[in-house]
Amino acid sequence: MKEKWNFTLYLLWFSYLILSAILMFGRGFLLSRKTLNDVTDCVPLRDFGCDGHEKGNSTDVCNKEEKIRRILANPGAVIACAPTRQRVVFLLVDALRYDFTEYNPDIENPLPYQNRLPIIKEMLERSPNCTRLFRFMADPPTTTLQRVKALVTGSLPTFIDASSNFAAMELQEDNAIDQVVKAGGKIVLLGDDTWARLIPGRWLRSHAMYSFHTWDLDTVDTEVDSKIYNELKKDDWDLLVAHYLGVDHAGHRYGPNHAEMKRKLDETNNRLKKVIEMLPPDVLLYVVGDHGMTETDSQEGNESVGDHGGESKAERTAAFFAYRGLGLGGDKENNKPGKEVQQTDLAPTLSAALGRPPPAPSLGNILLPVLPTLPISHTLLHLSNNLKQIKQYLVRYGEESQQIPLDKLAHLINATREQIDKAATIGSESELSVYVTDVRTLIENIRGVFRDVWVEFDSLSMLRALLLLLLAIFFNCLITEGLPIDKIPHVFASSFIPSGIISVTICIGICYTAFYFQLLEDVEHAVILSTGLVSGALICALVIMHWNGITQRWYETRLLFYERFARAALVGSAAILVSNSYIIEEGASLAFLSLSILATIVWNIGTIKALALWASCGIVLALSRSYRGCREEQGDCWTQGGGASAGPASRAALVLALGSVAATVAVARRHIGWRGHGVVLSGLFTCAHWAVGWGSLGSPSRSRLLARGAWLVLGSMFVLLWRKENRDATLPLTVCGLLLYVANSLVLGAAFAPSAALALLSGFLVLNIVPMMKSEGSTKFSLLTRCSSSVACLWALLASYYFYGTGHHATLGHIRWAPAFHAGDPNYLPIGPQVTGSLVFLDLFGVPLMFGAALPLLVLWSRGGAAVGPRSQLAAAFILSLKFAICFAVRVFASAISATIHCRHLMIWGVFTPKLLFECGACAAALTGTVIGLALTTWHLPTQQRHS
Amino acid sequence: MFSLNNQLELRKVTISSLLTCIYLPSIVTVISYKGLLYSVGNGSSFYILVLIFFAELLKSFYLNATNDIQAKRSKANKNRVGDILKSFVFLLVALFCFFIGIMLFGAPILDCHEETLMLSSLMSLLAVFPLIAHSGVEASMQLLFGIKNYGRDTITEMLVNNSIMTVCGAWLGAVVIPLDWNTPWQQWPVPCYLGAISGYLLSNVFTVFKVILLSAAQKYPTINSIINFLNNLHSAK
Repeated sequence: MKEKWNFTLYLLWFSYLILSAILMFGRGFLLSRKTLNDVTDCVPLRDFGCDGHEKGNSTDVCNKEEKIRRILANPGAVIACAPTRQRVVFLLVDALRYDFTEYNPDIENPLPYQNRLPIIKEMLERSPNCTRLFRFMADPPTTTLQRVKALVTGSLPTFIDASSNFAAMELQEDNAIDQVVKAGGKIVLLGDDTWARLIPGRWLRSHAMYSFHTWDLDTVDTEVDSKIYNELKKDDWDLLVAHYLGVDHAGHRYGPNHAEMKRKLDETNNRLKKVIEMLPPDVLLYVVGDHGMTETDSQEGNESVGDHGGESKAERTAAFFAYRGLGLGGDKENNKPGKEVQQTDLAPTLSAALGRPPPAPSLGNILLPVLPTLPISHTLLHLSNNLKQIKQYLVRYGEESQQIPLDKLAHLINATREQIDKAATIGSESELSVYVTDVRTLIENIRGVFRDVWVEFDSLSMLRALLLLLLAIFFNCLITEGLPIDKIPHVFASSFIPSGIISVTICIGICYTAFYFQLLEDVEHAVILSTGLVSGALICALVIMHWNGITQRWYETRLLFYERFARAALVGSAAILVSNSYIIEEGASLAFLSLSILATIVWNIGTIKALALWASCGIVLALSRSYRGCREEQGDCWTQGGGASAGPASRAALVLALGSVAATVAVARRHIGWRGHGVVLSGLFTCAHWAVGWGSLGSPSRSRLLARGAWLVLGSMFVLLWRKENRDATLPLTVCGLLLYVANSLVLGAAFAPSAALALLSGFLVLNIVPMMKSEGSTKFSLLTRCSSSVACLWALLASYYFYGTGHHATLGHIRWAPAFHAGDPNYLPIGPQVTGSLVFLDLFGVPLMFGAALPLLVLWSRGGAAVGPRSQLAAAFILSLKFAICFAVRVFASAISATIHCRHLMIWGVFTPKLLFECGACAAALTGTVIGLALTTWHLPTQQRHS
Repeated sequence: MFSLNNQLELRKVTISSLLTCIYLPSIVTVISYKGLLYSVGNGSSFYILVLIFFAELLKSFYLNATNDIQAKRSKANKNRVGDILKSFVFLLVALFCFFIGIMLFGAPILDCHEETLMLSSLMSLLAVFPLIAHSGVEASMQLLFGIKNYGRDTITEMLVNNSIMTVCGAWLGAVVIPLDWNTPWQQWPVPCYLGAISGYLLSNVFTVFKVILLSAAQKYPTINSIINFLNNLHSAK
């Protein structure tokens, strides 16, 4: 029976298809940007010599003007700090759309949001030289977090701003706030705590409020109001940041066409009036909206009211109002109200106003009209600083990432250099204005190039990946549901698998040849696409060849109620991934669904014992609820501190963890023979690891050593699993599950280890329920019942539930990094990143892995199918594994679809994309687990001569 | 599907279902007009349960009333008081089971006991009480666990269908809870409570519908195909 490995090979093939399609989807969907840690620095003018170079020993004296001219004439000079410094009040009115600020006296019946800010109109008429009003264009995603990032860094934030530590919320890049702090400036923060979390520790005074209660229109605003007027009277700050949330929340709650919006805008008007009155004449005031909001659709009532996040014009057009009592620069003709400026321009402008160069990642240009009137040389200094910073960024980005073709980048760098050279030749106002326009066009150009890479999805590869996923899932569903189980060994003994693998290899070969002769540009894409299509065609051919058997089986079998219900529940659990509220509450809904499937199965069995097992399974699931925690969107729970993933474990948690591991190991040991010693040893090491490392008296180094010991025992036990003994696969599979359990609790740490024990326990309970399922007549049918889809769905749902049950959540902020370091810092190893990655992966998806590896047990537990021989057992285990893998693939497919549908949704980066990522991770873990489990089964099941 | 053998039973089933179709919607309408619909989880709305209890009791009297003197005599011999006590205890046990079951399915464990209790008492009233009142404790236990088959007993079939639909309704009601719409009817246990009531109601409506179909089938034989289809659906369980 050589062909028995064909099952494992097929499963590997299927895993490859699914994972490669996921990879392709991710490459089209996950826009990424390389985060650079560079910081722009500037040298004060006094450190420059008169020759425009940094001061050596020369002591000659010259005036500033001359110095600046010299610096400009020297294109290689470092960035020089601007000599003038302003104080700035920066009011961010969340979701201040541009048309909120317009005033049109001709409107007879103004809508609730029209003509509500007369102060702006008044100021524009009264002192046109001191005020500016612009359209402030945001780039998608127009969510507040991304906008705040863009405002302070001047860059275009994407979902993955890949940096060394992307889990932390803290901004890793250079930004305007850091620039100010670097020069010794003092900053006061009032309002939304997004700022405090993005840029912690830079504030002179910070009054940040929790901002996620979308229904609360007033708390944050009143708090800011109570502080801002006092702050305005003081003069110890250089930058005052105040973030008002009321208008945004009114938009989310009621939409722009509502009396509440009227009230909030009136409040804003009074606030602005008062601020302008109190403002010292030499202080700059910037009033800015970070994004707009959608219109209320009058037909649909409250559907899609005042939301934001997408890229419609209404969401992208915010307002920018600037005021300074002593007047602003720029000529009036070019700066009429309503001119479009980009939000990326704010960061360099703000830095320039505070006498700093633009932050390193900025792609904006300095807005001269909102700065005070400057002499020509100073303007030129600002412009050349801007250009030098952008040139530096282009060079550095080209070094770090290959996203942008090199020739394009080189072209842009040369153009920038030319403009820098030109700066010294400008002498008159008219020349200056031409130069300003040139610089503006150039920077817009550069920004456009980066925007194409960072902001546009690759919809073609997304669609292709979805198609490949669908193909793989559909045909494999036909195979698992259609092929009669007694035919499966014959099918897989035929030449199907070898021919499939050969054709896939040929495909890859052709692709690489074409790439070698430069007929193809993107080899990876081509390989994935061609192998996916070829495999689809092959499996389709298999289905067509066996069409008779499939239709016959469909005609004959009649699905039981629980069977239909389980499939419906799986599809339901996948379908709700389209809704953000269900994703947020997914832990609860998965527990609900899996318990329901189990209830229908138990109802079908109808014995008291099964009922008791069901109830204990329910109790186990209910107990695991205490480890579930909550995410930021679950407002009440979050503010009560449920989201704070525990630091060091408490005493009770430690006792629980020790108890759970000890109990599991002690109970399991008796039934697994000599292997029990290994499990006990690893359990002991784990317990000792926690106990020794606990508390302030613990010794971290010894604890790490013990953890390494545990890993050593686990590894050697895993190798010993492959030792053939008696002809039974149940024992090795059980031991494999137990080993994975110990590994899991080791990485979960003492605080969460009992949840792994709960996962094991509920799996064990289900294992005991499944053999009770009624089957008609012979043992063959019993095997058929036990590898039915309902069991696979139940197992898959339980496995996905325990992602939440072990205290995880589908947000990047919830990834725990402690597991990577529990056995010492892997960064000193040559394979450090891999070790870190696999430990964190095990921490996140250990339970799907464990459930996947234990899957064949469902067929083999309590002598299932012992009468029919290993051949049918193996076929049943294979079918069950494939069904289980398909369940996960279906869920991945659903989340990919929902990410595609919602790719411009408000919560795409907060909810849907992380869900997609974690679902893919769970799928990968489950696939790995099933491959391990099936390989183990194949290895241990005795070979049998073919008799037919 | 019901059998047409016993016209009397069929009439009883129809009338009791019609009665339910009238009294339950009127209770819901009245409480929703009084603005109490969203406070059904409070202990203060206990009177609704009392109302339902009496309505179900009256219905069961109607269903149990027999013209058969033999049966009456044999019933009179039994210990009525003991029976009532036993069924009361069984009802309490059922209530407790529902309470635990609802918690296992995801209701809050440490708080909201009052709400969960109200829901579980409603469910035991709608799903278990009519069965006990009609066929006694032992038989209803056997029926609920699927040990005994109801055979051709139309009334019992209706009652079992009712209780299954009630549980399904409550189960389905939980679907809307996670949505973030912040509406008053998403408060625990309002959706499940209303779901249980509407499941029960729907089951009764189906009963009436089925009886109408059956009687129509006698006149128009073509309808038989629909009945066969429904029978198939039912037996797939």
